[in-house]
Amino acid sequence: MGRFLGLALAALLAVGVVAAIGYSLYPRISGSAPQGLHTVRGVIGSEKQPFFQDPEVVAAFHKHGLDVQVDTAGSREIATTVDLTRYDFAFPSGVPAADKIKRDHKARATYTPFYTPMAVGSFQPIAKLLQSAGVVRDAGGWYTIDMKAYLDLVAKNTRWSDLPNNTAYPAAKSVLITSTDVRTSNSAAMYLSMASYVANGNNVVQDDATASKVVAQVAPLFLRQGFTASSSEEPFRDYLSIGVGKTPMVMIYEAQYLSAATARDKTLTPDMTLMYPSPTVLSKHIVVPLDSGGDQVGRLLTEDQQLQQLAVKYGFRTSNAGAFTNYLKSRGAAQPPQLVDVIDPPAFEPLETMIQAIQQLYKGS
Amino acid sequence: MPHYTARSRVLASLLCLLALAAACTTSQTTSSSGQTLNVLAGSELKDLAPVLADFQKSTGDVVAMHYVGSLQGAEQIVNGDPSDVAWFSSGRYLSLLQGTRQRILAQQQVMLSPVVLGVKHSTAVGQGWVDNPNVTWRDIANRSKAHAFRFAMTNPAASNSGFVALVGVAQAFSATPDALQAGDINTGALKDFFTGQALTAGSSGFLADAYTRQQDRLDGIINYESVLLSMNASGSLHEPLDLVYPKEGIITADYPLMLLRPDRRAVYDRLVAYLHKPDVQRRIMTSTARRPAIPEVKPDPRFPNRVLIELPFPSSLDVVNRLLASYLNQIRPPSHTVFVLDTSGSMDGSRIESLKRALLNLAGADASLSGRFAGFHNRESITMVLFSSSVYSKRSFQLGETGDNSGSLQEIRNFVNGFKAGGGTAIYDALEAAYQIAGTARANQPDDYYSIVLMTDGENNQGRSGSTFLSDYRGWPASWRTIPTFPVLFGEGNPKELHQIADTTGGTVFDGLHADLSQVFKEIRGYQ
Repeated sequence: MGRFLGLALAALLAVGVVAAIGYSLYPRISGSAPQGLHTVRGVIGSEKQPFFQDPEVVAAFHKHGLDVQVDTAGSREIATTVDLTRYDFAFPSGVPAADKIKRDHKARATYTPFYTPMAVGSFQPIAKLLQSAGVVRDAGGWYTIDMKAYLDLVAKNTRWSDLPNNTAYPAAKSVLITSTDVRTSNSAAMYLSMASYVANGNNVVQDDATASKVVAQVAPLFLRQGFTASSSEEPFRDYLSIGVGKTPMVMIYEAQYLSAATARDKTLTPDMTLMYPSPTVLSKHIVVPLDSGGDQVGRLLTEDQQLQQLAVKYGFRTSNAGAFTNYLKSRGAAQPPQLVDVIDPPAFEPLETMIQAIQQLYKGS
Repeated sequence: MPHYTARSRVLASLLCLLALAAACTTSQTTSSSGQTLNVLAGSELKDLAPVLADFQKSTGDVVAMHYVGSLQGAEQIVNGDPSDVAWFSSGRYLSLLQGTRQRILAQQQVMLSPVVLGVKHSTAVGQGWVDNPNVTWRDIANRSKAHAFRFAMTNPAASNSGFVALVGVAQAFSATPDALQAGDINTGALKDFFTGQALTAGSSGFLADAYTRQQDRLDGIINYESVLLSMNASGSLHEPLDLVYPKEGIITADYPLMLLRPDRRAVYDRLVAYLHKPDVQRRIMTSTARRPAIPEVKPDPRFPNRVLIELPFPSSLDVVNRLLASYLNQIRPPSHTVFVLDTSGSMDGSRIESLKRALLNLAGADASLSGRFAGFHNRESITMVLFSSSVYSKRSFQLGETGDNSGSLQEIRNFVNGFKAGGGTAIYDALEAAYQIAGTARANQPDDYYSIVLMTDGENNQGRSGSTFLSDYRGWPASWRTIPTFPVLFGEGNPKELHQIADTTGGTVFDGLHADLSQVFKEIRGYQ
């Protein structure tokens, strides 16, 4: 009986999602693809939408006979609630979501055309303050933030005004990295991946029992922030426009920062800087083909030199490290450091266990 | 929503209709360009009309703005309002209220303005608050508690500036360095702070006008930085306002443009792109005194160049709703409201029935979220003055200090259900009776908040004349004359008469001709 109800609910939910997506697609379905082009549909993480909307990207696909249409959804949603039967490929962020989709849909191969490490957008005075507190190290033009030392500060409910010799930022609020909403956003899930690794004694959380145990230590990172945005663009925009008063530290994709650093308009101020978490995780952008059209998109994104180069323009790293370095050089942007302390995120299930536990804590709070 | 004049509102709705009609014709003739974007918006965005008109010129798209109170707007959207886009000074209440319904499909901030305190210059000098970065919300609470600081702030259940200020002050007074939880609400400190709230309103624009009118009896006003800067530039203040950015922190309104319908994405993107152009951002900054939302445009010298600490915002709807309920039921100065109600013969039938329904809703019949916030609250005194050819009934109801008011609310409902229409219209006799009641109550409880609502569907044809009322009014003490009357234009009510009453007493006319009376009464509650 209970099982039947569950299935019925799942079916209802699926219908709802189809209806919602169908609605959003309607105007495009009614208009046909440019002549002679084969339309391929994908559902992607929202951070890649500007890339897919770029006229050069559109043209590059056209050259190969493809008209690529995308809808956006959170990576967690793509892996769980979105009905993928309507699509030729899924393009979530993060290995956990991609692995789940690959397994559920028995996809043969996946493609990882580009990736970006997680980083903390911050300001020179903040970095220096945390440096004296032993949490941050100067890495020559950039900083690294020791996640263990940071978690210890947070566990002690440290306020900015508690830090010694702090005249630069004497705020009474807690030392906390601003993130997105872990219930919806991949970048927050990546943050959770790093924090849970440290909280688990420098081990990737691999099973539900460990996940449940670790939650108590990592949930406050999110709950104590209060209101969090649902997409990774919002807190980064606050960082750029409102600045240090609102977001002294913000968990972002390195690509977001580099894309701003290489933009023609000067959106970064000289006191802005990046702190690389130690350890950090790579947010991999993984194409999971659901049919041959999707497979062609994945292959082109990975192998087509022009598309690879365009990805670099959006701050992503590709397998061609030289292209990334050269582009930054050509735009007069500083070269990011070699990342040494990189860990894997947990598999989908333990990550999901942690997120669901935090979700429960939100409901209770 | 401010109602400077009923006429302007009627005009606005007409323009709105015209705009829609124009869009309908163009969308029939041109297929791809020239779409209409229906925007449910906060009234403070009215000052962007020239910018939106130029957007229309440059793209052919029409932006049709429909103004509504912030909390009610959020409720409408969650309940399926068909608008394409929502645009308020803050999207957080809507984000919390939507839960998992995900009505907001995309959002982009358009401009920034922190909610701060403007202090009359002589008061700021006296307190040592001029350009002093160490002033705290606590300092202000201490002066307020000592009756040495009287200020204006909008009703947080009706207007975003008051809402954001309440959340900020509650956060500042809590012991936690993190986002507020229900247990962190420090009711005592908040009561101290709001002791000095001597003026309220349902919109930020009306509050600024009302402050200007009553500036000699007030010391300050909480509002958007942009409104305070504009007031200083207006030339109508006897003393300029010094802007105080309290040290614990502030909350910045970021005016997010929120997409609600997936099929409107293209025109939404065009509007965002236009509003984010550097020259448009500069124009918005210059003309509205709001800070730019894109980093390429730097704030001009009007904006202090120092770090403003931003306070966290609660992640729980329950916490926010509890805070609002505490404010209304426990924290704010209690409200005395006199309803002056016309039950003349012309009110017979549907008119008196809609009046009854409007009052029954305030007395507990409207169980919606906005209905509950607009309803009668603890500690409130309600008097109903019924008139036709003369005043024939005056009845007061006192709601309890705490807890269950169902008994008092039932009494109100019984009384309202007994209304019967008949007789002439003695508006000014009734209004004088209301001022006698409110003025006498104020002599005993000077810190409470007083207001009068006048609902009539006809012209004065009995009792004293308008000119007699006006000359009587001029002879009354200042404590009576600062009690505003909010007339409701209804039926054959005389707009000229009602505007004169509103203008004289510092109230404003509400339009019951083109809106449901229940809705109008709900809105008036923001001004009480």
